[in-house]
Amino acid sequence: MNVKTIAQKGWKIISKQGAVLAILALMIMMLFFDTNFYTAYNWLDMLRSAAILEIVAFGVTVAVICGGCDLSVGGTLSFGSIVAVMLINAGMPIWLAFVAAIIGGALVGFINGFLVVHQRTEPFIITLGMGMLLKGLCQVLTDAHPLTSLIPDFMKISNSKLFGSVPLLVVYMLVLFAAFYWLMRFTSFGRNCYAIGGNYEVAKYSGIKVIPTKWTAFIISGVTASMAGVLLASRMNTGSSVYGDSTGMLVNCGVVIGGTSFAGGVGGIFESFIGLFVIQMLTNCMNMLGLDSYFQKLFEGILIVMIISLDCFSRKRKRERV
Amino acid sequence: MRVGNRMKENTSTRFINFIKNNLVLMAIVVLVVVTAIVQPKFLSAANLTNVMRQLWPLPFIALGMTFVIIGGFIDLSVVGMISLSGVVTVALIDPLGQVGAILCGILLGAMMGYLNGTILTACGAMIQAEVLFITFGMSSIYTAIALLLTNAETLRIARCIKPYTIFTALGSGTVGIVPIVLIVFAVILTIMHLFYKKTLAGRNISLMGGNKEAAFLTGCNVKRSMRLVYTISGIMSAMGAISLVSRVTTATATSGTGYETNAILCVVVGGTTLKGGKGSVLRTMLGVALVVLLGNCMNMLGLSTYMQTVMRGAVLVIAIWLDNRKEL
Amino acid sequence: MDESILVVKDVCKYFPGVTALDHVSIEVPRGVVYGIVGENGAGKSTLMKILSGVYEKDEGTVIFNGETIERTTPIQALRRGLSIIYQEFNLVNTMTVGENIFLGRFNENHGMRGTHKKARELLDSIGSTINTYSMVGDLSASEMQMVEITKALSFDSKLIIMDEPSSSLTSEELKRLGVIINQLRDKGISIIYISHKLDEIFEYCDIVTVMRDGHVIDTKPVSEFTRNEMITKMVGRTLENEYPPRAHFVEEPLLEVRNLNTRKLHNINFTLHKGEILGLVGLVGAGRTEIIRALYGADKAHGHDILLRGQPVKIRNPKQAMQAGIGLVPEDRKREGLILPFSVESNITMASLERLSKFGIVNHAAEKDIAQRQIDALSIKTPSRITKMVSLSGGNQQKCIVGRWLERNPQILILDEPTRGIDVGAKYEIYVLMNKIVEAGGAIIMISSELPEVLNMSNRVLTICGGRITGEFIPEHATAAEIMDKAIG
Repeated sequence: MNVKTIAQKGWKIISKQGAVLAILALMIMMLFFDTNFYTAYNWLDMLRSAAILEIVAFGVTVAVICGGCDLSVGGTLSFGSIVAVMLINAGMPIWLAFVAAIIGGALVGFINGFLVVHQRTEPFIITLGMGMLLKGLCQVLTDAHPLTSLIPDFMKISNSKLFGSVPLLVVYMLVLFAAFYWLMRFTSFGRNCYAIGGNYEVAKYSGIKVIPTKWTAFIISGVTASMAGVLLASRMNTGSSVYGDSTGMLVNCGVVIGGTSFAGGVGGIFESFIGLFVIQMLTNCMNMLGLDSYFQKLFEGILIVMIISLDCFSRKRKRERV
Repeated sequence: MRVGNRMKENTSTRFINFIKNNLVLMAIVVLVVVTAIVQPKFLSAANLTNVMRQLWPLPFIALGMTFVIIGGFIDLSVVGMISLSGVVTVALIDPLGQVGAILCGILLGAMMGYLNGTILTACGAMIQAEVLFITFGMSSIYTAIALLLTNAETLRIARCIKPYTIFTALGSGTVGIVPIVLIVFAVILTIMHLFYKKTLAGRNISLMGGNKEAAFLTGCNVKRSMRLVYTISGIMSAMGAISLVSRVTTATATSGTGYETNAILCVVVGGTTLKGGKGSVLRTMLGVALVVLLGNCMNMLGLSTYMQTVMRGAVLVIAIWLDNRKEL
Repeated sequence: MDESILVVKDVCKYFPGVTALDHVSIEVPRGVVYGIVGENGAGKSTLMKILSGVYEKDEGTVIFNGETIERTTPIQALRRGLSIIYQEFNLVNTMTVGENIFLGRFNENHGMRGTHKKARELLDSIGSTINTYSMVGDLSASEMQMVEITKALSFDSKLIIMDEPSSSLTSEELKRLGVIINQLRDKGISIIYISHKLDEIFEYCDIVTVMRDGHVIDTKPVSEFTRNEMITKMVGRTLENEYPPRAHFVEEPLLEVRNLNTRKLHNINFTLHKGEILGLVGLVGAGRTEIIRALYGADKAHGHDILLRGQPVKIRNPKQAMQAGIGLVPEDRKREGLILPFSVESNITMASLERLSKFGIVNHAAEKDIAQRQIDALSIKTPSRITKMVSLSGGNQQKCIVGRWLERNPQILILDEPTRGIDVGAKYEIYVLMNKIVEAGGAIIMISSELPEVLNMSNRVLTICGGRITGEFIPEHATAAEIMDKAIG
């Protein structure tokens, strides 16, 4: 009996911090190989590579905590990148183009919110459709060619380094991380999101304005994705319709892996950060080990299936116990 | 006098009801008529034959997807399954001959689908959201295997030593103006339609989609039905892959890209509700027809391919939105 | 008027086909523990839902704290000082105690720290040591209740309604609750205490109202009631012509369940005889549905034995149960029994499809016949065979489910709350059907929360409490009071 209870308690903890364990496992594994893994450069590089998707993840997390999900972020990402480059090339000052891209993202989020919250449609499929629509829109706007920015200053936004070694992108990510963390943990909006996702009815009866709050969550998701798109455009000096191709699924996957469940009400910005970072770290490790990119895709798929089916399975066990 | 009026009322209400129940068919009719007027070339034999040739593999994929959606689930792994079975089939033409290769391809599709179903039933995935990510992950796995097998190279059937006449026939062969592949598909469609409507297994799929718990309590083996719908999706993906390979004469590890959303689009537009339980493969085919004709019309009217993607996305969103409103 | 915190006068509430509240009047003074007793369906929860703003009253007056209230929302009621603590608790399990207490009022206490500080103060005021940073989902039922009470206090509530407060408490925890109730009363807060547990009513309440079928039967100080009187007033009704004559009883054992133990159930053993209607009586959550679901193979259970006519049978899933000749009409017909968007025909033939198939092909013509046959035999009111199930009334929906099983000529039919939400006429029809089944040599297990129904229809009654069988009665030789007693535990 004793061993069983210990194992059960252990499993309870493990299943809650799957992503953290995965990171630890990877880190331990890399100790056995002679690579550049444990260098400051590599870690900064990992953070920089993850930055864009992490920023998108912050916005998606808000929507997921409310009990929804947003698979259109890939399309919004591309959209933001294209709008920014187009406007900059047309002579608009950079900051104004940035604002325009954000408004575009807000519009997308508004529509998503309308469909999901007001019309009560299933979020995953409808945001999937919106993503498809946005990708098509991006293709129309650019005739499916990547759009290069003609203003050299634009590149500086994402490619400069602070103190010569810390990429600005990482700084943006950390700043946004802090901002979102504060939003979800210390403001009434954030706490209300948790309540809505945790138990919609109870939240409603407690006087929380559930519809505007959840709607706003979607707007935030759209704005964040669009913002990330501008940053990506700056990094690559190009706006393109292919940027978001697998982003939608990957980011949502990472959010769930990190522990922010689609059921809503659990998880948080830090958890999503870890979840996305696991995927990034896995890619980095595989690169370090010289693994074929095809093997990388394979392991990525296996990781996703394993973690999510384990999550499902533990929920199934919980159901059967009651 | 009164009798006459009542008769009139009956016919007009019946007419309106017919339109309401067959919106998609009406939309197709309107679309065809309008486009034919604006661009007469639309109705030419050349264009129609071309459309019928370019359809594939969408009808196959949509057919498989219909079963999964009626069952109350969704299958995003079709992308990977199409790519992998396509690649394997072409690779096996020389070792096994074309017939052997085709059979193996279909068997592989069935196995992948069965694997999907087994993983999902084992971990107790019940709702579409859970199923979504797991099938997405499986898609990555299948695609990755295809990449590893082909080393990202394109496999061409033209390079095969052994004969590949079946593929050529499926790709460009016609009987009159009707492509052979369409005839083959029509046969399969009929079989699957009858399967769904008439057999016990088909009914169980419908019951499962309608209310899983009620189906379970009346003796339905829900796990088995779940595995079945995914296996069907796998088989259809493999058949679709074969039709695709026949059409474009190549197979790559990314052949399947984009078909998952297109298939879902066709199913939803066709009138099968995403909530599961009710549906019809025939209606899905109407959905396929509408989507493909819409694409063709847009081509005829000079709209770019990209504009078409936007249209398709918009149609998907609107179709789901309206479908949801109907249930409310 | 200054004396009473709540005055309810002639309040009525109607639902389609049923009068839930019929001119109900109560008056709750300040600083009093006011008990309300009554069976399921007596109208207690409907009244509470009107007070708390979930429902709207159709007629009558409600005056709270001197203010006449026409209609209200839940949050308005809370802010006025009227809190309600439901049996299932209105908490967000994924959030902390402190946040739950101040759900939606984050800014009133200046953020997280202020919220937890205030929560700590309130918890201390009732002597609770619960950590405000604990996750509500990890708390015991008793602790959750403390959180709910603290929530009520945070709104400066003058009236707290407690709906079946002791249903998940141990006797120790109940004593603590009693202490807190006294503390609240001393502070001038009134409590409406709704419970089946008459011991508690006598222990904690000052005044008691007995309700039945939407009426107030009697209201007196608790000292003027006797236990028997209370029970009689709860269940008493004229019984003529409401139930068909009782079915005949045959001694031969048909089904035996031995040694059924699960997480919730303990040592369940019983026998079902041919021609018998066996009633299972108990409070919500006592384990009745768990017993039949385990028997039917719908829930995982192992280590138990099932004997059918003396022969052991293995029932691990509903299909095997059906093969053994058992059918189940589930408790929640909308969620577990019916496929609402499907036709009446589909719903009726669902359980018979295999029998109708040859080589895997369903005989549609035979299907139509079966459906029509059941529709005719059971007088199911439906425009046609293909009408969608969702358009039928509750009674007719239930008849479809019964018809589904009748088609299979089951030896044993399990009915879980067969007449819930059904009008009187349809109820009678179902009773007649039940008798028909047992007269033909079958047997029925019936779960019902309506005591009169169980007493009149069953040949034998088992009382279930806390997952155990606590008593066995023959209704002809026992009183409702005795049976209720064992069911309450």
